Formats: sequence, C-alpha cells, structure tokens
Amino acid sequence: MVHPGKLPLWSWPSELRQNGIMGINSRNTNLIFPLNPRANYALVDNKALTKKLCESRHIPAPRTYALIQRFGDIKRSIDLLFGLSSFVIKPTRGAGGRGVLVIAHRSGKGFKNTKGELFSLEQIRYHISTILSGLYSLSGHPDQAMIEKLIEPHPAFKGLTVAGTPDIRVVIYKTTPIMSMLRLPTKASKGRANLHQGAAGVGIDLETGITYGGVWRDRVFDVHPDAGASLSGVTIPMWKDVLKIATQLSCAIGLQYVGVDVLLDAEDGPLILEANARPGLSIQIANRCGLWPRLNEINLKQGLS
Amino acid sequence: MINRNRAAILTAVILTAIGAMCAWLRIKYTWKSPGSQGSRAWRLTYDISLSSTKGGKIHIALPDSTPYSRISRETFSHQGIWVDLLRNKRTQGRETSVVSMAGNQKGHFFAHFDIQLKPDQQSKLLAVEEKISANDRAYYLRAEKGIQIAGPGLSNIMNQLADQQMTKTELLTRIFDYCAENIIKDEKDTFSDAMNTLEHGIGNTLGRARAMVALCRAYKIPARVVAGFILENTQEAQMHYWVEAFSQKKWLSYDPENGYSAQLPITFLPISRNGIDIVRGPDTISYQSRYSIRRLLSSTSFVSSQENQLWNIVDLIRLPPSMQEIVSLILLLPVAALITTIFRNIIGIQAFGTFTPGLIALSFIHADWRTGTLVFFIVLSVGISARLLLNKLQLLMVARLSIVLTLAVLCMVLAVSVLDYLNLTPSASAVLLPIVILTMMIERFNIIAEEDGLPNALKIFAATIFVSVCCFLVMKVELIGRLALMFPEVQLFNVAILLLIGRYSGYRLSEIWRFRDITQIPFN
Repeated sequence: MVHPGKLPLWSWPSELRQNGIMGINSRNTNLIFPLNPRANYALVDNKALTKKLCESRHIPAPRTYALIQRFGDIKRSIDLLFGLSSFVIKPTRGAGGRGVLVIAHRSGKGFKNTKGELFSLEQIRYHISTILSGLYSLSGHPDQAMIEKLIEPHPAFKGLTVAGTPDIRVVIYKTTPIMSMLRLPTKASKGRANLHQGAAGVGIDLETGITYGGVWRDRVFDVHPDAGASLSGVTIPMWKDVLKIATQLSCAIGLQYVGVDVLLDAEDGPLILEANARPGLSIQIANRCGLWPRLNEINLKQGLS
Repeated sequence: MINRNRAAILTAVILTAIGAMCAWLRIKYTWKSPGSQGSRAWRLTYDISLSSTKGGKIHIALPDSTPYSRISRETFSHQGIWVDLLRNKRTQGRETSVVSMAGNQKGHFFAHFDIQLKPDQQSKLLAVEEKISANDRAYYLRAEKGIQIAGPGLSNIMNQLADQQMTKTELLTRIFDYCAENIIKDEKDTFSDAMNTLEHGIGNTLGRARAMVALCRAYKIPARVVAGFILENTQEAQMHYWVEAFSQKKWLSYDPENGYSAQLPITFLPISRNGIDIVRGPDTISYQSRYSIRRLLSSTSFVSSQENQLWNIVDLIRLPPSMQEIVSLILLLPVAALITTIFRNIIGIQAFGTFTPGLIALSFIHADWRTGTLVFFIVLSVGISARLLLNKLQLLMVARLSIVLTLAVLCMVLAVSVLDYLNLTPSASAVLLPIVILTMMIERFNIIAEEDGLPNALKIFAATIFVSVCCFLVMKVELIGRLALMFPEVQLFNVAILLLIGRYSGYRLSEIWRFRDITQIPFN
C-alpha cells in the first residue's frame, strides 16, 4: 500500500540536495574510496574472518559449530551434527543468501528445513562439498562452509516476520551510528533481507529504537507488504546493545563508513550477522532523511573537539 | 578529496591541451594548401546494377594502388549479391568476384575509391622492372578477339615500318608514331578492332589502342590493352584505353591517341589489364554501370603526407584501406566505453558488464542488423534456457560456462548455416557475434534472475540492449570513425572526459526518480 496522497514522478536535484540525500557517485567518491581501505575488505567479504574478528574482540555473534575448510574436514563435522537439532550451513563468501541451508529440526534419521523438506545426512554432506568447491561464490573460487547456530527471531518482530529472519542494518560513520533500519524479508525477496532483492526497510529512531514508516521497492510504505502489519511504532529490544556491538565491529574492521547487520536472537539478544563495505542508500527513504546532515554533524563535532 | 578532484581536473585539462595541440600540429603539417592537395585527391564511384536470369559469377575490376597513386580509402556496399575481393592471377589486378545471383534476381554494387596522387611524381609513370614468364609472353603475343595479328592490312603496314637494323626500342617508337599519326580519331560509329582500324586508318580510342597492340604482337613484342580512367571531374566517366608494351624488362605505357610515349600523366588511372570491360561475366547476367569521378577538396579528402618520415607512424590514414577499417573500429571501442560510462555514472542505467554494449555494437557495425539481431536473440534465448536447465544439475562454474559457450557457438554456427541455406544473409561475417561476451551475458542474466528476480534481470537486459543501440548509432556515424582514425589524439579527450566522470559525485539522473518520495513526505 503506497502512502496516501499524490506523489510526484521525480524530485529535482536541488530538492535532493536540500534534504541532504546521498547519491551513489557521492557515496563512492566521498566516503568509500577515501575512508575504506581496500585491504580491509577481506574482513567483510569473508564471513569466517568477520566471525573470527568478533570472537577475538568478544563481540557477540551466532555461535559457530564448525568451520569446514577442506574436504577432509567434512566427515568430522557431519559427526558433530548428530548432537544438534537445528543449525544453519552457509558459504563464507556467498552473496545474496545463495547456498544457505537452514535446518529447523530433526526428523528421524534425517533433518527438515523451515519449509518442512527432508534432508538426509548424505544430502547435507553433498551440500557442504558443493560449497567447498565454490558453487555459490560468485567468482567461482573454492570456498569454506560454516555451520552456525540457528537464530530464533525475537518475538518483538512476530507480526513482521513473514518469510525469513529480520535483521537490523546500522550505518556507522567514524565509529558513530548515523542511521539505522529494520530489514524485513518478504515473499518477493524470497526470505532474504536485501532491499534490492525486494525486502522492506523500516527506519529506526537512533535515540529511542522505535520504528517509523518504511520503504519497499524504493517507495514509501507504512505497512508490511505481505503481512499488512503497521511498520511504525515497533520498539527494537535491547536497542543500545544493538548499536554497541555494531560500533564495536566497525572499530575492529577498520572501515570508516560501513553498514553492520545485526540479528536479534530470542535467547542471545543482538548478534553480528555481517558487515558491508558499500552500504546501500535506500535506508534514506526508510528514514525519510538524507545521510549528509548526519555525516556533517559528526564532522562538525570532530572538528570542534 | 578536494585535492583529488583538482588533480583529476588538472590532468583532464592537460590531456585536452596535449590532444588539441597534436591535432593542430597534424592539421598544420600534414594538410597541404587546399589547391595543391585538392587536385591530387580524387574520388571514383562505381554504380553497377545487375540483373540475372540464371545466376552465375561475374568479376568487377577495381582500381589499385600504383607507384604514383594510392587508394587512401574505399567503401563498398552491395545488395542481393555476395562479394569477394581477390586478385587476378596473371595481372595481379584487384577484382571483386560477385557470386550467386539466383535466377531473376536484381543486385546492386556500389563503391567509392578515394585516390591520392603522390606529389613528388610530377608527370612520370614509373614502370617497375619485372620478369615475364614464357607462358605470359605467349599470352601477350597471341591473337584475340579484336586484336588480329595477321591480315593483308597489317602486312602492308609492317612492310612500311620494317627495317632490318632497327632495335626493339626503335621499332616500338615507330609503331607508336604510326598509330598516333596515321589513324583518324572518330568516336561515333567506327571500328574498334585492330584489323579494320589499321586497314581504314580510322577508329575509336579502343580501335587505336588495339591496333598498336596488334602491331607490337606481330613484331613479337608482348603488349596489352589497358582499360582505365583519366582523372577529371565528370559525372559519366568514359573508359579510356591505352597500351602497355613489354620492353627493356618493363611494361612501358603508350597512349597513341594523346601522344604520350613510354610515360603517362599521373592522372591516368589503370583499372583492368585483363580485358576491356570493368565488368566481366556470362551473358545470363546483364548489367548497367555508371562511373563518376570527382575532385576532392582537402577538407573532404583527408589526405596525408607521403614522405617516408618516422613521424608518419602516427599518421593512420597512410595505412591500407582494409587495415584502416579495423583500426578505426578498434579506436571506436573507447568511445563506446565512454557512452557506457555516461549511462552508468551520470544517467544511472546499468548494463551487464562494462564493455558488453560496446562489443555488441561493434559486431553489428559491418553486419546486416536484421539478421544480426535475429541471431543475437536466438543465441541468447537458447543460452538462457540451456543455462536454466544446467542449473538443475548444479555444475561447477568453469564447466558450466564452457557448456554454455559451446551451446552458443553451435547455435550461432547453425543459425549462420540456416540463413545461408535460406539465402537470407549477404555475408557470413554479418552475424559473427562476440561469443564470449554473449556467454558472460547469459551467465550474468541467470545469476541476477536467480538472486534478484527475473524482472530485475530483464530490466538490466533491456538496459544493455538500449546502451548497445546507442553505442551502435554513434559508432555507425562514418564521420566519427573517420575522425578517430585521422586524429588518434582525440582519445586523450576521451580520457579527459572519463577522468571527470570518474570524479563526478553529483546525483545520477535515475536518482531523482529513485529518491522522489523522500522530499515529498515529511518525517512525522
């Protein structure tokens, strides 16, 4: 449902500038090139390295049951799965949710995913070996597989959870969170939380952790496109902790303009999912606000101190 | 940040200045004054309509570079026929063979040749020493239609000219003098064969040339008729015929009609030494031909200097026409890359890959775009659906790509063969698409369709086609290709623009649409 009222077909560049909207060219030339050293990209591109960093800095992240680097490791890891009832297997360099296998519970000798499809141990072994041989990494290079604890979405998001696990994107500029949004998977996004794949984004007030209206497919939205529940007025639990761990990770990574994705587990609270060196710009639509005023505020403060 | 912008702008300005200076130097030093250059550059145009009742093969003789003139540029266009460039085995003259006109079909052959005369050869026609085989010697001594080397008239004249002590050179001069003086010119309804011309002392240009050849051959001097044009402004250029006789190890030229002996003005442009007609072929193919010649002014002739100096390396106009064509295409690739960059960074239209649109456009430049487009979509749709099926097998990337490549190759080759079978394609090169680029496009299409949904993939696909068409339309403009070839330094301007775009941090055009909602709905 589109926001009521007649919307124009475009905004003039002067209007965008007035509102401090950041464009892609500006993001790349003014922020990413000067602030994000290329050498540190590896830390965000490889989820295993991000995870390792979290562990060494005691930043909470979903528990890793196993990291499988070689084909020889597969058997040992499979043995480990006997003791688990739910887990997630994902490639460390996968993009856009490719190659992620979510096992929700056991079923006799096998396992079932969230949709109730049955997987035998042999099928899981095969899935891991395809990850290792690079089937899901875009470049086709050999990859590694991670077995992680399955996240139980926090009950606070119950009415907004339709097809996958929601997460929180926090954009951090020079160790200060400047903008944030709740990312809600939809049917259109096939359970994935990427906005350009069709997920919905909901702006969050940085001070209070309460959401207001959202964005879907670059248009302003007030209700969840599938569930119909209102997007505004949702209080994010443990909000200060979400911002804290996101900031901690951004400091550890050494990128000065970064988007950190945080999951909210029903038991463990905020956990780091991953970081992104080129955070998207639709977050501005979700927040009805440009990034520049917030960046300038920080520059001003730092200039004064 | 500011410094980087300044550095980029400064570099762009410097590059532009260097480019402009190079262009200025080029104009100043390679383009001579219009008057003197203009008379040295000519354009010969062939305009030949063909119609056939049965099909077959004909030959069209083409002008060739000579020691004193150079074809600086040529363009061909043809319809309804296949064309192949080749050289005549005996004379080494350039010809095109035009093949396979099916029954009751019409065809059209159109060609331009820009001819540049070398300034340092004032009025001499340089003959090159060469050898002549026994076979060729016999060939150029034989009797042929229109050149009779025996008969009462011929014997009478030979009796007048004969002298035991004469050398071959003196004899040749005697023959020339005889043909120049004793034959009355009459173009209208007179004789064009050697025997009648000599017997009656009257004949047209061809008859006179044949008469001289017949006399030479009768005296065992190898000789041949040369058909060609005299370069002068004319809408309807008439063939002119002159004679080449082999003497002192050289083919020496004689024009008995105009009185040029052993050397010709450089405005004589030989076309065919193998028969008197430009178009040769069976009776089943009838043709109408028109030839026009016009003088080129320096601004349109793009002439270049001829001296063999080192700095001529940067003069690409001196390359042979066939190589010029390839070089100008290569030089257009950066232009296509610039267009793609503008679309990506300023307009905000993203295509598959950076060079895909340019390379697709490039493959269409010399192709028939209808058949090209047909094959393009066949290859793509087969590739994409095959890739979808392969997806089910979950193959590793390199193997998967190789299979898609193989399918694309097979598909394209089959399409070319089918088009040829149906007689639909004018030339095989018309549909040779960049297969590797297509394969990568198929792969990218499928990955994006899988990750971001089919509508997104189709959107990027449509954008790729759109950008390709834009590249094509720009690259197709002949003047741009010509300028790229004449002034390779304009690539510096290209780099300068790319530098500026590379540091452009303003909004993309698509973003005034993308962010349209923010400015309108206030935060509440």
